[in-house]
Amino acid sequence: MADITQQMPGGSPAVAIDEAKRQKLLELVRGRALARPTDLAEDEVMVWPSLVVVEAVCATVFLLLLLAASVLFNAPLTARANLNQTPNPSKAPWYFLNLQELLLHMNAGVAGVIIPTLALGAIAAIPYFDRSPLGVGILGTSSKGRKIAGFSAVFTTVVLIGMILLDEASGRTQFFIGGILRTQFGAPEFVYNQMLPMGIIVVLIGVLVTLVQVIFKPTRREMIIALFTAFVITYVVLTISGTSFRGEGQNLVFPWQLPREHH
Amino acid sequence: MAREQTLADKLSSSSLWRSVVRHGYPDTQRNQALIIASNVFLHIHPVKIKRYATKVTYTFCLGGLSFFMFLVLTGTGVLLMFYYIPSADLAYQSMKDIESSVTFGQLMRNMHRWSAQGMVIVVFLHMCRVFYTGSYKPPREFNWVIGVLLLVTTFLLSFTGYLLPWDQLALWAITVGTEIGGAAPFVGNQVNLVLRGDFEIGQNALIRFYTLHVLFLPLVAAFLMAVHFWRIRKDGGISGPL
Ligand code: HEM
Repeated sequence: MADITQQMPGGSPAVAIDEAKRQKLLELVRGRALARPTDLAEDEVMVWPSLVVVEAVCATVFLLLLLAASVLFNAPLTARANLNQTPNPSKAPWYFLNLQELLLHMNAGVAGVIIPTLALGAIAAIPYFDRSPLGVGILGTSSKGRKIAGFSAVFTTVVLIGMILLDEASGRTQFFIGGILRTQFGAPEFVYNQMLPMGIIVVLIGVLVTLVQVIFKPTRREMIIALFTAFVITYVVLTISGTSFRGEGQNLVFPWQLPREHH
Repeated sequence: MAREQTLADKLSSSSLWRSVVRHGYPDTQRNQALIIASNVFLHIHPVKIKRYATKVTYTFCLGGLSFFMFLVLTGTGVLLMFYYIPSADLAYQSMKDIESSVTFGQLMRNMHRWSAQGMVIVVFLHMCRVFYTGSYKPPREFNWVIGVLLLVTTFLLSFTGYLLPWDQLALWAITVGTEIGGAAPFVGNQVNLVLRGDFEIGQNALIRFYTLHVLFLPLVAAFLMAVHFWRIRKDGGISGPL
């Protein structure tokens, strides 16, 4: 901006315009009077009232809903804790039931610690892989991004439900393969219960990535949309399965067949 | 042309009033700016922001609601602490007392419970909003990482609170939960022992979960939120279309 005088027609030297005139010119260029702290550009609003009102309304609506829910529904309080009386099924809090569901299909350390740690680490690392500013502020980046999210959601849901049913049908022997490895080839736990399930997960992610790559030719951001969507859907599907479809002995049941306290 | 002074005018120009509130009625931009800048709670905000940042359909209020739920949980939690006794012998009875003989005790407990569950959901949804709008991109990478830590802290807050009612639901959920943690390769047994302070869930586990729940984790969350909010300001307010 300091060079504005040099771009004037006629090429007069920079000293030709004094400071006061320069400021006036700047005003003209910006199309508004000299900035005072409260001056608003066209796309700006005052926080009071514009944002504070939104916050107050959000908070009030939420508080009313919470009050209504708290008047209508009581928090559960079951019988006093008793270490000698194990309920069947015993369930973790609902937001960890996705892990408990995973736990049914593989080694506990893999399902309960390794996979969630890797997942959280991968999520935390997203911004270091996807640095292009394209599409910021637009839900799903583009219509293609939204299509990819939809594709990934459907793919993940179908695959997960299929996997749960298949493993259940195999009597939770890692989709029959684990059972065969163990009984026919005497494979150790490390192979059929740790390497095998992790391998299957890696392959499935690979299938998703390949499909998205071939069908959509995505940018890096769009590929990450596919993967993140797969994570969210996995979390939701496994949570629903763990809360609503696992009855006595963690066997698959319909929600209305669950024992009383798990309804 | 001065209009007649109303009672409100007299009150708001008294020296007592002016000692507390330093700005005039916020009907001018100057006073609207002062109200934000001179109030310790409001000055978390800038004086003016981009118009799109006030659109409910952009943030869905999810970050703000996460914070508000944290405040509600702190408020109801402090009230519950007046009555709750973190002892394996007395905890269950104190829950019964809160429900049946403490005025509004049941309501406080319900609000605490439902907003704890709600916070897990809302924080998760907030993460999804931030992701799908691409709001983690530079310069906001680090705030996204802080966010992931906040998500973990939220889970842990909810999880440690789960044991406190000392009923069957609590005991066995925490048994299953700590067993998941105890399955960690190499350090599993130690993790389990550190969490439970014993080989099974008992008084030691209760006092550990209680301290984590009412003191340690809320402090961690408050610390992370301070960084989170500061960073939003330093990264130029919330993201928006280029
Ligand atoms: C206790 C939990 C949390 C609280 C109280 C919180 C609060 C907030 C608030 C109030 C905002 C302002 C915009 C909005 O309301 O959406 C915000 C923005 C943001 N949050 Fe969170 N948040 C939490 C957890 C998270 C998590 C889990 C993540 C991601 C993993 C995250 C990442 C971000 C980012 C990157 C922004 C900037 C968004 C933008 O510029 O559009 N936060 N947060």
